[in-house]
Amino acid sequence: MSLSQAILIFVVLAPGVVFVVFALLWLLGWTPGERFLSWITGLTFAACTFGVAALVWTIASGSTVTVTFGNWFAVGDYHFPLVLMTDRLSLPFLALAVVLSGLIAQFSATYLHREPGFLRFFLLLHLFAFGSLLAFAAGSFDLLAAGWEVVGITSVLLIGFFQLRPAPVENALRVFGIYRACDIGLFVGVFAMHHWAGTTSFDRGFPTLTGAQAVLVCLLLLLAAAGKAAQIPFSGWLPRAMEGPTPSSAIFYGAISIHAGAYLLLRAQPLLARSALASALVILIGLGTAIHGTIVGRASADAKTSLAYATLTQVGVVFIEIGLGWKWLAVAHIMGNATVRTMQFLRAPSMLHDYHQMHSAIGGEVSPTGKQIEELLPERVQLWLYRWAFDRGHLDTILDRWVIDPLLQASSYLAKHDRVGMTWTTIRSGHAAPISLHGPAKQGDD
Amino acid sequence: MSVPGWVLHKPFLTGVSIGVPWFAAVVLTGYRRHVRIVGCIAAFTSIVGSALLLADAPNGESLYQALMLLFSCLTFGATLLLPRRDCTREAIAGILFLLGSTLLAYSTGNLLVLLSAWILSIVPFLWTGWLRARAWRPLVGLLFSSLALALAVGLISTSTGVISIDKLKGQSPGGVPAFALLLVAVVFRKGICPAHSWVADAAETGPALPTALLLNGHFGALLVAKLIVPLFPHTDSLFPVLSYLAIVTALYVAIRALAENSPRRLLAFLALSQSACILSGLESRTAEGIAGAIVHWFVVAISTVGLFGILRLLEVRFGENLTASKHFGLAEHAPRLAVSFVIFGLTLVGLPGTLGFCSQDLLIHGALTSHRLIGLLLPIATAMNAVSFFRLFTRLFLGKRRTGFTVMADALPRERWILAAGVLFVIFGGLFPNAVVIRRSSEADLMQEAIHTGLDLNPIGKVERPPGKLPISATR
Repeated sequence: MSLSQAILIFVVLAPGVVFVVFALLWLLGWTPGERFLSWITGLTFAACTFGVAALVWTIASGSTVTVTFGNWFAVGDYHFPLVLMTDRLSLPFLALAVVLSGLIAQFSATYLHREPGFLRFFLLLHLFAFGSLLAFAAGSFDLLAAGWEVVGITSVLLIGFFQLRPAPVENALRVFGIYRACDIGLFVGVFAMHHWAGTTSFDRGFPTLTGAQAVLVCLLLLLAAAGKAAQIPFSGWLPRAMEGPTPSSAIFYGAISIHAGAYLLLRAQPLLARSALASALVILIGLGTAIHGTIVGRASADAKTSLAYATLTQVGVVFIEIGLGWKWLAVAHIMGNATVRTMQFLRAPSMLHDYHQMHSAIGGEVSPTGKQIEELLPERVQLWLYRWAFDRGHLDTILDRWVIDPLLQASSYLAKHDRVGMTWTTIRSGHAAPISLHGPAKQGDD
Repeated sequence: MSVPGWVLHKPFLTGVSIGVPWFAAVVLTGYRRHVRIVGCIAAFTSIVGSALLLADAPNGESLYQALMLLFSCLTFGATLLLPRRDCTREAIAGILFLLGSTLLAYSTGNLLVLLSAWILSIVPFLWTGWLRARAWRPLVGLLFSSLALALAVGLISTSTGVISIDKLKGQSPGGVPAFALLLVAVVFRKGICPAHSWVADAAETGPALPTALLLNGHFGALLVAKLIVPLFPHTDSLFPVLSYLAIVTALYVAIRALAENSPRRLLAFLALSQSACILSGLESRTAEGIAGAIVHWFVVAISTVGLFGILRLLEVRFGENLTASKHFGLAEHAPRLAVSFVIFGLTLVGLPGTLGFCSQDLLIHGALTSHRLIGLLLPIATAMNAVSFFRLFTRLFLGKRRTGFTVMADALPRERWILAAGVLFVIFGGLFPNAVVIRRSSEADLMQEAIHTGLDLNPIGKVERPPGKLPISATR
């Protein structure tokens, strides 16, 4: 094993090992102090950052670092290859994940000082970093899906971080539902690759598929990518996710998690390039999301939601770039967007302070920015657009009305049939009372 | 000091594994003290016996020994996890009787003994009155399944004059009527649609842990693996019916769970939906589907017993009026129970890093390979189950903290260690799945071979191959 391979393994595994060790110690009854925990976290991510920097030297020479561990498990003709790989595409994402996780950890050590969930936050941050590094360094779509799922579950658990308030908890449930629904696309897409190409590994070239097969796989992967990147029609979960603590919003929805969908499409670019239909759909979804994001963002009343929609708009543009095949422009766009949004999210709690400081510095009120583009529209259209934006494009309403409500109605209908012949004791327990998966409508409503 | 040879003899070890729990159950009918200790010793004896049997079994022929070990461990864990309030001599005796009957069903190669074990496993529930008379569906479901199996066994034995499973392989004994009766037995015992309601009723009205053990004996899947697959390898047109029913059940019950607010019923639906996948994997006729089904058998059994055990602990500590319609915020009071609950639950629905991910991955690939369109329902059902589980978790453990609980203990040391053992198994199994999957993979290869070629399987999975023919895995 070469030094580069050892470094790659270290970078990916280090946060996971820290998570496992601290979680086990906690289960056995030991809770580490805040200072010790943040020190270990800082050390881990600093070491990972140096590791990634070392990898840059190798990748810059044009080579790819690949580590093959064999199969994670294998049965019959089916195998789950355990291949880590970093190339010119994944390295920027690895660097982004490591550097931003380290920065967020340092920020959170102060921001969450004496917060009851301090340990929980850091454990989930390590797990998230492990999941995202695994997804970005995966040499096969199988492994990418595993990392993808870990990112999803940590994201959901951090949205519900303030567990004593019902709103974050209900919103976490909603986000979890959308993630799981969209991840079906990833799993079935991976299966289709296995079935048709016999492999999902891309460390030695991309799986070979025919035209129609490539289209189907791309559409399935697009479903997963759109869900993770909050593209329309799944954008409704993004403002709900702002219920989590600000540092987690910054790294998940400003930087890493929101761009994971774009990474998946970039990884599948060779397939996408062969499928005009899927490429057109990617462009269409990106365009729709960009327009949706920019309009809704203008009607958002709180800072984090405005930032979330600003991110969404840019991710929509990234999707357009991917659909057009401008791969490296998309990568550069993601890097820029992720770093700027992270900074903006982290400053969001101090926005008023910053605003006043700026006023003091310039010695008075900041002059208005001038005319807004929407003012060019007729007043009735402006009003309609405002109402549309205020309800966030009615996306949640549509999803509720066409997907969630019918499912719940079907469930209640089945429950009614199940009750045939049941005794009064079980009916009395109210097991089939109507439930809500909708949660509180929006952040700030509770 | 050397161990006498007869001690390690297979019949002796099997007899000890089955006989000691039964003997302890009889002892407990007259002995009232130290019931938990007696139960643990009996279950531990079964663990040792099964472990020795498993160690002695050749690679690829150890499925039923592994299942014996699994069920013994589950019983040991359930005995430790049982709250003091529930730890009566009737409860422990019933659990031990169930253990003996289940091990008998796993280990036997005789049709009549299998039928007896099938019926005996229900006896504790009738004898102790665990299934309340008012909830009639569990009784009807279990009795119907027994009746169907008895008729099938009768038909097979009268038409062939043979009761040894070994000698009946590949002969389709009793023809389509016997096959149909066996299917009916599976449908009723496993809770496959339309006979699914009894499972939730049993979980709600019966004692949590014994019912979880009864459901996790997976007698329905056992019947498929032990009788239907080896005896009827030529029923190509009929066999998929079982798979379709299983997949439809997985989806139906997953939808049903979405609006369920009773935690016990909800967990029962999740367990049922996930365990229905086992049948579809066994029927998939692909090595990955069958191996996935066997590994999933382990995953469902461990997770479900863990979840029901934790739910019962919560009921004992925080009252029995828990519901998924409002938040209870119990994680504040019981963080370790919350963590164990979420790990077991996410294992059940296939979170990466747990053994559930590997089993789901294999199962879904197997199901999609054999039934491309209807197989798509399986990942959809799993996604819905994940949402239902997460809803239950958030309602029980998160949200506004409730006050007024008289006891607010987290997991006691006894409970903590046994839960930690389960959690470690599913996590390390998930990190290093080959340790579990490789042995199941060889068994899957043999079962797949038996389905495709009609080769003979003996009761513990041994293939009598023509000279020079190797299992599929060995030819790769």
